[in-house]
Amino acid sequence: MRRSLSVCAIAALGLLGGASLALAEEKPIVIGADSPIQVQVGRDTVDTLQMAIDEINAKGGVLGRKLTLAVADETLDPQQGVAAIKKLTGEEHVDVLIGGYSSGVTLAEEPHIADAKTIYLGVGSASPTITDFVGKNYKRFKYIFRVSPPNSTHQGELIEDFVIGKLKGEFGYNTIAIVGENAVWVQGLVPVLKAGVEKAGVKVPMVELFDPDMSDFSPLLSKVKDTGAQYLLILVSHANSDVLVKQWYDAKFPIPMGGIDVKGQDPDFFERIGGKAIGEVVTNGIIPAPITPKTMPFWNAFTERYHRSPVYTAPGAYDALQVYVQAVERAKSTDPEKVIPELEKTNYVGTQGTYVFDKHHDIESGPGKINTLFVQWQEGGKRVVVWPKDVANGKMILPPWISQRAEVIK
Amino acid sequence: MFNILVYGAVTSAVYAMLAVGFTLIFGVARILNLSHGAFYGLGAYAAYVLTAKLHWPLLPAAVFSVLFVAAFGALVERFLVRPLRASALAVLMITLAVALLFEQGMFILFGSEARNVPAFSTATWTYSGLDISGQRLLTLAAGFVVLGVLYIFIQRTRLGSAILAISQDPEGAQYMGIPANRMYSLVMALSAGIAATAGVLTAPFLTVQPTMDLLPMVKAFAIVIVGGLGSIPGSILAALLLGYSETIVAYTISPAWTEIVSLIAVLLTLILRPAGLLGTRAAF
Amino acid sequence: MRWAGKDALGAAGVLALLALIPAVTHSDYLIGILTVSLIFGIWAASWDFMSGLTGRENFGHALFIGAGAYTAALLNSKLDLSPWWCLPAGALTAVGFSLIIGFPTLRLRGPYFALAMLAAATIMQRLMRIFWEFTGGEEGIPGLDPLFESHVGTYYFCLFALTVTTAVLLALARSSWGTILRAIRGDEAACQAAGINVTFYKIAALMISAAFAGAGGVLYAHYQEAVTPDVFAVALSITIIIMVYVGGMGSIYGPVAGGIILALLPELLRGLGEYRLWVYSVILMLILFFAPGGLVAPLWRRLTAVAR
Repeated sequence: MRRSLSVCAIAALGLLGGASLALAEEKPIVIGADSPIQVQVGRDTVDTLQMAIDEINAKGGVLGRKLTLAVADETLDPQQGVAAIKKLTGEEHVDVLIGGYSSGVTLAEEPHIADAKTIYLGVGSASPTITDFVGKNYKRFKYIFRVSPPNSTHQGELIEDFVIGKLKGEFGYNTIAIVGENAVWVQGLVPVLKAGVEKAGVKVPMVELFDPDMSDFSPLLSKVKDTGAQYLLILVSHANSDVLVKQWYDAKFPIPMGGIDVKGQDPDFFERIGGKAIGEVVTNGIIPAPITPKTMPFWNAFTERYHRSPVYTAPGAYDALQVYVQAVERAKSTDPEKVIPELEKTNYVGTQGTYVFDKHHDIESGPGKINTLFVQWQEGGKRVVVWPKDVANGKMILPPWISQRAEVIK
Repeated sequence: MFNILVYGAVTSAVYAMLAVGFTLIFGVARILNLSHGAFYGLGAYAAYVLTAKLHWPLLPAAVFSVLFVAAFGALVERFLVRPLRASALAVLMITLAVALLFEQGMFILFGSEARNVPAFSTATWTYSGLDISGQRLLTLAAGFVVLGVLYIFIQRTRLGSAILAISQDPEGAQYMGIPANRMYSLVMALSAGIAATAGVLTAPFLTVQPTMDLLPMVKAFAIVIVGGLGSIPGSILAALLLGYSETIVAYTISPAWTEIVSLIAVLLTLILRPAGLLGTRAAF
Repeated sequence: MRWAGKDALGAAGVLALLALIPAVTHSDYLIGILTVSLIFGIWAASWDFMSGLTGRENFGHALFIGAGAYTAALLNSKLDLSPWWCLPAGALTAVGFSLIIGFPTLRLRGPYFALAMLAAATIMQRLMRIFWEFTGGEEGIPGLDPLFESHVGTYYFCLFALTVTTAVLLALARSSWGTILRAIRGDEAACQAAGINVTFYKIAALMISAAFAGAGGVLYAHYQEAVTPDVFAVALSITIIIMVYVGGMGSIYGPVAGGIILALLPELLRGLGEYRLWVYSVILMLILFFAPGGLVAPLWRRLTAVAR
């Protein structure tokens, strides 16, 4: 259809003169989504991008050009990830890549993306190593940007904040246990977190890292109980947090729990495990609440179109596309050499907060920028923001069996 | 410690159920069934579909799931395995293909996220500092019952003797009029059914995901080797050993090492005592 | 067994075809996935040499691949060793692993040897995650140097490596070596009784298999420019076995073809989106069911038998 239209256009405009100019305007801007489409985060990235593209095209596109989407399944295997990148850059000739989830895959893809001189906006992987490359070899890796979520080191700082401000400050807890999956992002985060909270007078009698494939947490939970900790801080991303939370609930574990639980961010997590997430606090980038004026319109548009709620890569992808589009408009070109300097100047209010890049092309986090919300699952699956104070919209509760015990003791 | 005793017992019971089915089908039909984990997973997913999507009550859903997977196992044996029995490697490969299809099928039908199966029992027992859910205790009890019933079946019934006969000497048994092929289907169905039982019981407190078939299978494999291929008491003993070593390692050393325990146990057994603990068949 | 003229012609034809590809296409994608397919061909051929001939199925071939890949990654990233030196280093490390694991396990029968290798490979995978300070954990070791700056250069070198691998292994398989290994598969006791040092041949076969697999691992590491613990995964070992199976066990050249075809297949199915891997599994099942002797080697023999 497009082909025959072009031919007609050429013929028509050729008669009028100025044909070549019109031909150049026809070429669409191709957005490449490289995401693991068998996983929810991947599906949401792709669907969000499609939705965002349709919105932008309806308003006339970018620089008079329409946007189109090309998708390649990067899976969780680095080898397939590299192949996906090559397909998008080498064959579909995309103008920009948006996606990512597993840091191992993204790290393997990086040199290939850089060699293809294509801009990459990461919306899922959180390893700081990804943007370290930009610092070490700017000339080669300047194409790499990380838009969402805050990298794992920053997340550690935000958790430290939560522990000192909320747990110690409001609840008076001064002993916490830290349990996480044995993964590099946790290993980098934990020492910083531990040192930070200990300096503020919170004791950490136990730090345990478990095999991410572990499916029986009872021995671990038992060990935590023996330490006399008052709060259990968890750091879980790929591991089976469904199982951990179910087992925590089933055992009526006497210690409240919360932290980074990527699977616990899913809007249907509570329902999926039969309501057993009650009382769990989970860090989140977005929930259906007006964090910025753009949050609710995005949330509503997504849920209306796809009949499900978005997970964390969705708002990231939505905002990433906007960040790119605005940079392209400022540069008046899609040439990466012109777009990159404009991207570096980004100061954009999206659905999760304000996006500003640091000198390693990593997203800056904290109040006023991209903040991490501490959200608690409460009665009936309701999600309440309990921290930071300035955006909190409810009180943090204790899981029902714990508060009941407290009642009984009183 | 009391905790270790009880938790280790539950873990061992689940492993025993997985391993026994695996060793049964290998001991009798010489089939290294790489789709065994898929039977475990199918049991859990069937229970999920019946309870969450079709809103069946739990007990009929559980029973139906087990029977469904048993029938599925028999079908796999009849139509996929039997034509290829001439080559052990071919059988291996086709059961592998079944496992792959299971994983991919579950991905497409139910997505990658974990699903929920309701528990038979939502009670929690607390005893001298130990919190344990009713479902786990039920699993432990069920493990005993299933293994006990299996033992009685094999030792005391005619069908059981027929199975034993086939495992010792397939040709001799056939001369005695025992229909080998039908026996193989039966054993596969039994094996699948036991695996599915484990799946249905553990689904409420473990995970129901498309990739759930891999790790239990590797562990079943490990237990069967350590206990001795073809020996049911050996499998049970090895399941206890493995279940308890994992629990003890998790408690005393670090939970980061639990999954490696079974692998090291396998390697050591193979290097030091290849026939396994109670193995009747030599590994050489 | 001698070289049939037809076989040599067939091999030359395939080689020429593969060599011409960069001339007819500029797609970096195609060159990339073909490079990986060639490496899979090396791995499949190396597996076939040991397990295809002796009948001792090795379910942990990834152990050697990972050994080579991680050696290269560690030497390249921590000591700045050139990828060219990493090649022999990786192969040697893999051979070392084969000795350590081979001696205690090669005396085991069928499924026991298979399982021992599987356990060894999986243990290495988990150790790579546990000792994350050295190995980068699940994120692996990124930022490795490529062999050549040009992707086409890397492609040609891998093609060269595959050709050498296939030629060497095929020559060995068709020599008295191969006869002895096949005899061992048939009846090990008889061989022992005939005075053949069975242990020596088995270990040697495993070492040779490991050397090529490890070298392939190094090539892979420098193509990807990163390694992750997936390089030790069971899934990889099983994928290679399937490739050999489809190609035709014991023929060496069949597995090479099987490797290339099955490495390309998931890429060619990319248009199917979410259903890609499911269709791949179905195709696999159909091949495994209807062609239990493999596809490539029997087909080739049938084709050339007609013309002989």
